[in-house]
Amino acid sequence: MLIHVILLSGCWSKKELTELAFVIGVGVDKKGGKYMITLQVVNPGNVAGATQKGGGSSGLPVTLYTSTGNTLVEASRKVSEKISRLTYYAHTNLIVIGEELAREGIKEVFDAIERNPQFRTTASVIIARQCTAKELLSVLTPIDKIPTNQMIKTLELTEKVWGENLNVHAGEVIEILSLGGKEVVMSSFRIAGNKMIGEQQNNLQSIEPYTFLHAGELAVFQKGKLISWMSGEQARGVLWLLNKIHQTAVTIDWQRTKEAISYKVVRSKTKVTAKINNGKPIISVMISMEGDIGEVLVPMDLTDPNNISLLEKKLQQEIQKEVQNTILYAQSKKSDIFGFGEVVHRLYPNEWKQLKKNWNDQYFSRLQVKVNVHAFIRRTGLRNKPYF
Amino acid sequence: MERVQLNARQLLVLAILFEHGSAMVIPLGIDARQDVWIAILCSMIFGAGLFFIYYRLFTYYPSLPLTSYSQQIVGTFFGKTIALLYILYFLYIAARVLRDFGELLLTFAYPETPLFILNAVMMMTVMYAAHKGIEVLARTGELFFFSLCLTGIVGLALVIIAGLIDVHRLQPILEEGWKRVFKVVFTQTLYVPFGEMIVFAMLFPYIDQPKKTKIVGWLAMFLSGINLASMMAINIAVLGSETVSRSTFPLLNTIREIRVANFLERLDVLFMIALVIGGFFKISIFFYAGVIGTADLFRVKEHQRLVYPLGISVLLLSIAIASNFSEHIKEGLNIVTLYMHIPLQVGIPLLLLLFAIIRHRSSFLFRKQEKK
Amino acid sequence: MWFQETSKRKQIGVFDNMLNETVENELQQNIDMIRTITGNSTDIVIREFLLGQEQEIPAGIFFVGGMTDEEMIQKLLVQSATQLTIPSSYSREDVLAYICKKIATAGKVKRIKKWHELFLALMSGEAILLIDGVAEALSMEARGGEYRAIEEPSTQLSIRGSREGFTESLATNIAMVRRRIQNPYLWLESIKIGEVTHTNVSIMYIKGIASDEVVEEVRNRLQRICMDGILESGYIEQLIEDKTFTTFPTIYHTERPDSVAANLLEGRIAIFMEGTPFVLIVPALFIQFFQAVEDYYARFDIATALRFLRVLVFFISLIAPSAYIAMTTFHQEMIPTQLVIAVAAQRESVPFPAFVEAMMMEVTFEILREAGVRLPRAVGQAVSIVGALVIGQAAVEAGFVSSAMVIVVSITAIASFATPSFAIAISARLIRFLLMILAALFGFYGILIGIILMTLHLCSLRSFGVPYMAPMAPFISTNVGDTFVRFPMWALKERPHLINQTNVVRQGSNQRPKPTNELEKEGDNH
Repeated sequence: MLIHVILLSGCWSKKELTELAFVIGVGVDKKGGKYMITLQVVNPGNVAGATQKGGGSSGLPVTLYTSTGNTLVEASRKVSEKISRLTYYAHTNLIVIGEELAREGIKEVFDAIERNPQFRTTASVIIARQCTAKELLSVLTPIDKIPTNQMIKTLELTEKVWGENLNVHAGEVIEILSLGGKEVVMSSFRIAGNKMIGEQQNNLQSIEPYTFLHAGELAVFQKGKLISWMSGEQARGVLWLLNKIHQTAVTIDWQRTKEAISYKVVRSKTKVTAKINNGKPIISVMISMEGDIGEVLVPMDLTDPNNISLLEKKLQQEIQKEVQNTILYAQSKKSDIFGFGEVVHRLYPNEWKQLKKNWNDQYFSRLQVKVNVHAFIRRTGLRNKPYF
Repeated sequence: MERVQLNARQLLVLAILFEHGSAMVIPLGIDARQDVWIAILCSMIFGAGLFFIYYRLFTYYPSLPLTSYSQQIVGTFFGKTIALLYILYFLYIAARVLRDFGELLLTFAYPETPLFILNAVMMMTVMYAAHKGIEVLARTGELFFFSLCLTGIVGLALVIIAGLIDVHRLQPILEEGWKRVFKVVFTQTLYVPFGEMIVFAMLFPYIDQPKKTKIVGWLAMFLSGINLASMMAINIAVLGSETVSRSTFPLLNTIREIRVANFLERLDVLFMIALVIGGFFKISIFFYAGVIGTADLFRVKEHQRLVYPLGISVLLLSIAIASNFSEHIKEGLNIVTLYMHIPLQVGIPLLLLLFAIIRHRSSFLFRKQEKK
Repeated sequence: MWFQETSKRKQIGVFDNMLNETVENELQQNIDMIRTITGNSTDIVIREFLLGQEQEIPAGIFFVGGMTDEEMIQKLLVQSATQLTIPSSYSREDVLAYICKKIATAGKVKRIKKWHELFLALMSGEAILLIDGVAEALSMEARGGEYRAIEEPSTQLSIRGSREGFTESLATNIAMVRRRIQNPYLWLESIKIGEVTHTNVSIMYIKGIASDEVVEEVRNRLQRICMDGILESGYIEQLIEDKTFTTFPTIYHTERPDSVAANLLEGRIAIFMEGTPFVLIVPALFIQFFQAVEDYYARFDIATALRFLRVLVFFISLIAPSAYIAMTTFHQEMIPTQLVIAVAAQRESVPFPAFVEAMMMEVTFEILREAGVRLPRAVGQAVSIVGALVIGQAAVEAGFVSSAMVIVVSITAIASFATPSFAIAISARLIRFLLMILAALFGFYGILIGIILMTLHLCSLRSFGVPYMAPMAPFISTNVGDTFVRFPMWALKERPHLINQTNVVRQGSNQRPKPTNELEKEGDNH
C-alpha cells in the first residue's frame, strides 16, 4: 500500500489513459487577428470495435472543442476550460488549415507543432477549401467513424491510385518552408453538401450521406502564402514532377475518337536535373513509366506491336503536354512548387548564391524546362482485342 | 588499482560504446551542414593521431595509468597537479554527459519530471557499475553491444524499407568548401567524441595483451567514426540538413519518420534504448576513470570507498553546471572546448610525450655511457 | 571416507558421552544399551539367536525395519544359524574374524568397535551382528526397503529422450548415471552431511575432464557445512552457492540422468543426495537455464529456433506487465493510434490506475498459481476454473480490469511457464515486480535502468569461479555455438572453456556428415 501511495502521488510525467483526451485532428483558423484552434477529440468508448459491454456505438466517435488565443499554445491551453481531460497531441494525425489563414500565411503555424515533443511531424497537413478548418472537422463520416481518419485514408488512397492529390506531412512542409528553392503545395478538402446536417448523426442515417468530405484541389503557396489552386490534370502534373505518382489512369485519343483508350500507370519515376547555360539554369525532366491498357473504346488490335508503340508515342505526347501545362501555370503564378530551385542548388551551389535572391520572380518564371517522357505499355489485360 | 584484466575484445567494445555514447543522439558537428559526415570522417583520422600520442605514452609506462606516469615524467609536484587536473576533467565531463543525458530525456519524454530525479537514477546505476568495477562493466558492455547492434540494424532496415532516404538531401557536397568542414573538425568533432579517448589512458594498464592496444583503439575509432558519419548522413538524408540543424535530437526525428505497413511506427523506444545505454556507458567510463584516478593519486586501496562521495558530487555538479539547456550547450561548445578539451586532450599529452621521449633518450644514452 | 569422527558441534542427545565408548563384551548389556539409546523404538528389530554349529554362541542381529532388505537378512540368519560350522577350538574373537570372512550373503562387511559407529551403520540401514563375549560388532550391508520406482521425471519432461528420472535412492541415481557413462574415470566421492540426519551426499565428476580446482572447491564447500540436517539438495544449494543475495540461481539442478551425464561430459560436477531426485550441478551458467536436454536430441535448426523462443519468452515474462504500465501511463505516443484508442476505451471503466491494475492482476495470478501447486489435483482444477472465470471474465465484465490487462497477464503467465527451468522462471517473477515499480515511476527509462542494473548484477555473478554470463560475457567465440543458438553437433567441437581449461576438445575433427562417395575420396587421400 505504501508503495502505491508513493507511486501514485509522486509520479511526475505519469498520465493515465483515462486522464487524456486524444486529439486526433487539429484545425487552425484565424478569427479577428487571433488564432482559433479546433480540436477533434476521440471518444474512445464510442469508437466501434472498442465496445466492451455490447452497448454499441450510440454516441458520437469524436467531439469538437474550439478556443481562441494570440498564439497556438495559448489557445490550446485555453481549451482546458471546456474539456475535462488533458489534451494529448501525440496521436494527432491531421492538421487542417483554414483557407483564410492559408492566404494570410502559414509560416508561423508550424513552430509550435515542431517544438512540442508530443506532435509528430508525420501528421498530414491539408487546407480547408471554401470553409474554415472548424467546419471541415465537424462533418461526420461513414465507414471510418473518425472523420480525421477518413480524410487521411482518402488522401492516401487517392494519391496512390489516382494521383491528383498530395499527402504532405508537417515535416515536409517545415522543410520546404526553410528552403529557398521550393514552395509548398498541398491538398485541400472541401465539404460537399449541407454543412449543418454534416454535424449531426442524421448525416449517417442515410445510405448516401447528405454531407461528405471530398478531397479537392491542390493549394499552391508562395512564400508560405496561399496564392492559387490547381486541379485535375494540372494537379496530376504536379505529382508527376514531384515523383509522387504511383498509379493513375491516362486517357488518350485514337484515330478520330477522342478519349478512346485508358492507360493504367503501374509504376512511374521522375528524374529532374539542372544545367547552367550562360548563367541561366535549364531544367530537364525525365519521366519514365510502365503500365497496362485498362480500357479500349474503339476496335483495335492490341496484339500488333506497332499499335502498341504508336500508343506509347501518343501517351508520351499526352503526358508531356500535361506536365508542360502544369509548369506553365506554376510559372505564371511565380511559385516553384516543383523544387527546381533546390535541384539547381544541389548541383550548382556556387551559382545558386546569385540565383537565390530572385529565383521565383526572375528565373523560375522564365525557366526553360525540357520534359521527356518514356511510357511503356507492358501488358494489355486479360483480353487482347475488344469484343466490338 | 583493481587487479583485473580486460581482453582486447572487451576494450574494443567499451571503446565503441564510449565513442557512440551521446554522440549518436545529439546533432554532432551539424555546423558543417550536409558535409557533417565528411567532418566526422576527418575528425576520425585526426583523432587516430591523438590516440597514437596516448598510446605512445602508454608504451613507455605499460603498467601505469595516466595519473601515475604523469608524476614519473614531470616530477611529483607537477605530475600530481596534472593528475588532479585530469581527475577533475573526467569527473566534470561525466557530470556534463549526465546533464546532457538528463536534458535529452526530459525534453523528449519526461517534461514534468525534475532533472535531479532523472539524473539521480542514472547516477545510481553508474555508481553501482563503478562499484562492481571495470571487469563487470566490460562484460555488461559485451552484452549490450549486441543489443545495440541489433537495435541499430533494425532501425536502419526500417528507415530503408520505409523509403525515407533521399540521397539528394546530402547534396551539394562541400557547398562552402573545406573551410567549413575543418572549422567544425577542429572546434567540435575532433574533441567530442574522438579526443575523449584520453580517458582510456586510465584503462590501458588493465589490458592483458598490451600489444593489441593500438590496433584495438584505432579499430574502435574507425568503426565508430564510420558509423557516426553514416548515422548523421542518414539523418540528413531523411530530414534534410535544415531540419537536422534545428533539432535537438536528429536521431529521434529520424526514427519518428519511420512508418512501415501502418503498424511499425512510433518506434521512439529504439531511440530511448540508444540514448540510455549509450549515456550509461559514457558516464560510467568517465566516472570510473575519475574514481580510479583519485584512488591512484591519493593512494586509496579500495576504489569502492570513493564511489559514493564522488558519485554524489558528480550528480550535484551535473545540476549546478548550467541554469538552462542553451547555456549548457554554449558552455560545451565554447568554454569546455577551448579551456578543457584542447589543453587536456592535445596540449598536455603532447608535452608529456615530449618529456617522456627526452627522458627515455637521456636515460638510454646514460645507460650506454655507463656500459662504455 | 572423510567423515569426521569428532563432531564439529555439540550433539543433541543425552547419551552423547556413552556413544564415544566401545561396545561391551556381554551381549545382553549391548542389547540393553541399544534399547536405551533408541528409546525402545519399535522399528529397531533385535533378533537373538544361537550362532553356528558345533560351537553355539549367543548372538544378536539388529536392523531397522523397512530400511533393510528383509530377504537378505533372512538368508543371513539361516546361514549363520544353521549352515555355519564353528570349530570349537576358536576363541570368541576368532569367531568374529571367521564370520567376517565366511558370511557371503552380505555385500560389504565391516568391523565396528565404537558405539557411534555402530549406530551410524544401524541407522543407515545396515544390519549389525553382535556376538556374546566380543567387544566388537559386525556391520553388514543390507540396505533395501521400498523406494519410489523409477518414473518419468515430472519437472523436466521431454518428448524425445530418455523417460528415466531420478528417484529418492542415492544408489539408484548413481547407477543411472554410471549406466550412461561407462568409464572408470567417472569418479564418485561420498560424504555424510548433517549432524543429526547423517545424510549421504556424493559428488561425481569425470577425472581428467572436470577441473581439479573446482572439484577441490566443491569438496571444501561441502565439508564446511555444519548443520543439524539437510533434507533436500536445496539445503546444500543454499549453503554452497557463491552469492546468496541474488535472485538468480548459480547452481543448476535436474531430475534427468541424461542431463547429468551431458553436464559431466562438459566438465561439470554433480552433487547427489540421498532422499531427493534433484541432483545439483556446478558450475552453472546463466544460459544453461535456457537449455533443455531435447535441444541436443533435436536437429540444430529446430533447437536454435527453440532457444531463441525461450530467450524471447524469458524477456516477455520479465517485462510484459512493466511494458504495459510504461506504455499506458508514460508513452502513449508509442502505441499505434488505433490500438491506443482501443486500449483507452477498455480502460474507460476501470477505476484503478494502470499500475494498481497490473499489480492486482499479477498478484492474483501468483496466488492462483500458488494455490494450484499446493492443492491436490482434484481441487486444483476447481481453482483454475474459478481463476479463469473470475479473472478472465467476471473482472473484465465488471469493469475492474481491462481485457488488455488480462491478455498481458496471460501472456506473462504462459511465458513464465514456457521457461525450461523453474529456477530461472521464478527469479524472473521476482524481478518482474521490481520492473513494474520502476516502470510506474519512470516508464521505459525505468525499465531500461532496471535491465541495465540486472545485467550489471548478472555480469558480476560467478558460479564456482566461472563468470555467470559466459560465454557471452566474457565472449568466448568457440562456445557461443551452444548459447542462444545451437550449432550442428559437429560444430560443437569444444567443451565450455571456462569450466575446463585443459581438456577442451570433445570430438574428432571432420565429424560433419557427408555423402559416402566423398568420404571415400577423403579416405583415399589419407
